[in-house]
Parts: sequence; structure tokens; C-alpha cells
Amino acid sequence: MSSNAGSLGDLQRAFQDYLLAASDGFQGAVRDTSKADRLTLLDVYRDGYALRLIEALTTDYPGVMAMAGPADFDHMARAYIASHPSRRPSVRWYGRDLADFLSSTEPYRRTPAAAEMARFEWALGEAFDSPDVTPITADALMALPQEAWETLAFATLPSLRRLILAFEVPQAWQRREEVQPGDLLVERAPGPLTWAIWRPDLVSNFRSLDTDEAAMLDALVEGRSFPELCEAVAPFTGEAQAPARAAGLLRAMVEGGMIAEYRY
Amino acid sequence: MSAAVDFGLGLRPEHYEEIAATPGRVSWFEALSENYMVPGGSPLRWLDRLRRDYPMALHGVSLSIGSIDPLDRRYLDELKALVERVEPMWLSDHLCFTGLRGQNMHDLLPLPYTEEALNHVAERVMQVQDHLGRRLVLENVSSYVTYAASELTEWEFIAELAKRADCEILLDVNNIYVSAFNHEFDAMAFLRAMPRERVRQFHLAGHTHKGSHIIDTHDEPIVPDVWSLYAEAVKLFPGVPTMIERDANIPPYAELLAELDEARRIAASVTRRAA
Repeated sequence: MSSNAGSLGDLQRAFQDYLLAASDGFQGAVRDTSKADRLTLLDVYRDGYALRLIEALTTDYPGVMAMAGPADFDHMARAYIASHPSRRPSVRWYGRDLADFLSSTEPYRRTPAAAEMARFEWALGEAFDSPDVTPITADALMALPQEAWETLAFATLPSLRRLILAFEVPQAWQRREEVQPGDLLVERAPGPLTWAIWRPDLVSNFRSLDTDEAAMLDALVEGRSFPELCEAVAPFTGEAQAPARAAGLLRAMVEGGMIAEYRY
Repeated sequence: MSAAVDFGLGLRPEHYEEIAATPGRVSWFEALSENYMVPGGSPLRWLDRLRRDYPMALHGVSLSIGSIDPLDRRYLDELKALVERVEPMWLSDHLCFTGLRGQNMHDLLPLPYTEEALNHVAERVMQVQDHLGRRLVLENVSSYVTYAASELTEWEFIAELAKRADCEILLDVNNIYVSAFNHEFDAMAFLRAMPRERVRQFHLAGHTHKGSHIIDTHDEPIVPDVWSLYAEAVKLFPGVPTMIERDANIPPYAELLAELDEARRIAASVTRRAA
């Protein structure tokens, strides 16, 4: 069994350290050619490492790019790369921590809309290739016996994500290709708003939720029964109106393709 | 190999709809494994749909067969699940390492051609083949640095690896050309050293010439010198399936079909002359 010891291991470690600019000790392990010196050739790898990851981030975060512009995005991406080694075989997952990075790192944390944009775009990306589940239909619910509603509970699609956004990120995201990179402005919303992101079939959807709807969806995701969903809505509508409001909101969620299954 | 899988293209999302709308222009597709190692969504839907109409090969970039890190069992399990879904004609990855200490560099980093590396890789290839229950096809990579430690030529290393590990070879003709220029070796010596019975597939691609070296970018049409080398490869390894790899600056589907017609023309011409 080969081990981490020996010249193969030493060489691989030295090469990787060189690519990460942690050490220049690797230069002696490779040769010049008659046409190019070894530093030029090593730079193909060293430059390529950052460029590939920047490309992945650019693909995943077009809204952040539209806000920042290429130069600032490049600078930001290199700071992220320097602090975030890629741990997964597929570059698909590399940008997972960008929103947290932007919200916790100077100077990016001073532009909180950027972190919100990153959070929104990552949720869209997660919805894009989340497990495929066919949503239930309103007809299926209508056919249930009356007594089922006493214990009826639901599960949402695996793609469903909920985000509370203080900025008008989704609206700005829709304008991302209409502006010059760097010119995308993201306004602060009148108040924090809950947004749902989900993929009922092949195309991802997103929309904002009313306050009572967000409270009901929270309860629904927790697996609460329909009477408990009514209780979640009641503080906003009053006890009397709650069942009708909850039924209406539930119908909208079902018809929008957010609900994967029910049980009673 | 039957004529049905002679000339293929890389399966790219930009072309999904056109592929479905114009059946019969390509005999098979090569899908990038990692693009489909996801839970669901549109890419997998397209893969399933097009797989019904075309034979497919799977081609990975993350196996890291030469790394000193332990084999990534999670990756192998996900790959195995994809293999069961696609039932590919064959499964390929690259003769390289892509990182270590749990960090992925997302690059095809060359191995030193030493006896130690040969033993290490051969053992890992056999482990992967046992895990997946099928032979692995390994591709020669383009490389830019020459290790002082190398004891063998690249072609000696590959030929010996294929024999020891009982694996097959994906000959990337562009990569041979690129590495021959970068390392100043004879591309024909490489081709002639390949064990004929183990060459499973050819790759063709474009590159970027920097004057003092060539970078394997897959973002340009195939250059005349690579077409010439391809003609030599077809002479030595007749009937081996060929595909064109384009990974960036993706052109209209029709342009790739035209490039594939050129491969067909060259292969037919070589075959006629040989007959």
C-alpha cells in the first residue's frame, strides 16, 4: 500500500503548496525547456487555479457580479478563494459559503445587500438541481374526507427555501442583465420580507410571502396539522377568519407547486 | 466497435434542445460525470431523455487517481450510482491528481513518471475498478511542467499502467500534441507506444498557443497539426471511437457537427488508403 511518505507524496505536497502560493520550494522539482522557463510553465497552473474558481463563482453569482462589476468581483473572489479551500470534487459546490463570507468580512460586510444577493442566488442554485418531486394537486386535497383535516399535515418540496431579505434583491436580480456590470443597484425594502424559492418542475420560482403566510409556512414546514396552521395565521387575521385564510393560503401553496405530500 | 459509435460529441447544456431536435447527426455523446452527480433538475432530465436515443460514455475530472490522498469513497459511490443510471459504454477520467489533503485544486495536475507513481496509480486503478465493477479508461493529460524526478517517458508509463492495472486508454490527440510541444518529445513515439488493444477512445480539442508553450483550453477549433496527428492515430488504431471536446467558448451545434464531419473525412480517407 502506498503511503503519504516518499517522493511522490513530497512532490505532490510541494506542488500544491506552490499553487496556493504557500511555498516556492517546488521550483527545483521541474525543468526549464528550451522555449520556456519553469516559472512561466508553473504559472499556467498557479494562475489557472484561481481563474477556474473565479469562473465558478461568476457562473453561480451573476447578481453579485452585476452589483460589483468585474474588477471588484475579481478582488472579492480572490479573497474568498484565499480563505476557502475547495473541499468537494465538483466545483458546483465551491461557492456555498460566499454569502457568509460577504456578511462577515470587511469591506464587503458594509454592503449587506451583496451578502443577501449571494444568499438568494445560492438558494436558486440549490433549487435548480435539488431532488425531483412532483407536487400534489388541489384536486387531491379536495377529495379528502372532512375528518382528515383535523390531523392533515404536509411536507414541502425538497427545493423549497425561505429567505428573509431586507433588500429588494429578487427584483434587482431580475434586472441583472439589463445594466452594465457594476451598475446594479439594490434598494432597501420598506421592511424585511420573507421570500420563498422552489422548483415545481424544471423552472425555479420565487415570490414574496405575506406576513401571515410566512408564519403559516413556518408551521407547515415543521409538520404542524391544519388546525395548527390556522392557529399560526390567527394572530394576523383573528380567530374567526383564520380557517378561511389558512385554507386560501394553503390552496395558493398547493397550486403554486410548493407542497410535495400530505398525511393524516 | 460497431459503426454506430464511431463519432461523438461532448454533451453540453447549450446544445440539449438542438440535439433532441436533430436526431442522427451524432452517433454517441460523452457526458461529464460531475455535471450529473446532482440530486435532480434539468440536467439530469436531459441526460435521461437523450440517453434513450444515444449511447453515452461518462467522462470524469475528479477521480484524482494519482493523488496520495485516500480514494474519495463518497465520490466513488455517487459515480457508481450515475453509472447505474446511465449504463455508459465506458467510464473515463484522467491520469493525474487533482489535489490532496482534502483540498481539490480542480485541475489535472501531472504525475511524475516514476516506478513509485506507477505502483501507486496501478493499485488505485484496481481498487476503483473493483469498486465500480468495470474497467476504467484513463486519459493522457496536457501538461506544462517536466519533473526532474521522472524516470520513464509518459508513453512508457501509460502503456505499463494499462498492462499492470488492466485498464484502458483514452488517447487525447490534442493532449499528445500539446505535451509533445511543451516537453519537446516526438508525438509519434507516444502514439506508437500505445498498446493497440487497450485504446478505447480518441479525444480531439482545440488549444491556445502561447509561443513558448501551449495551453489545453478546449475553447477553439481543432488546429491543422492536431488533425494531422489524428490521421496518424487513426492509422495506428483503426475503428476507435472519436469525440470532440469543447468546454468553453461553446460554438453553435452546427459548428461542432462540421468539425466532426472533418474527423469522419480524415478517418475515411485513412481507411481507404489502408484498404
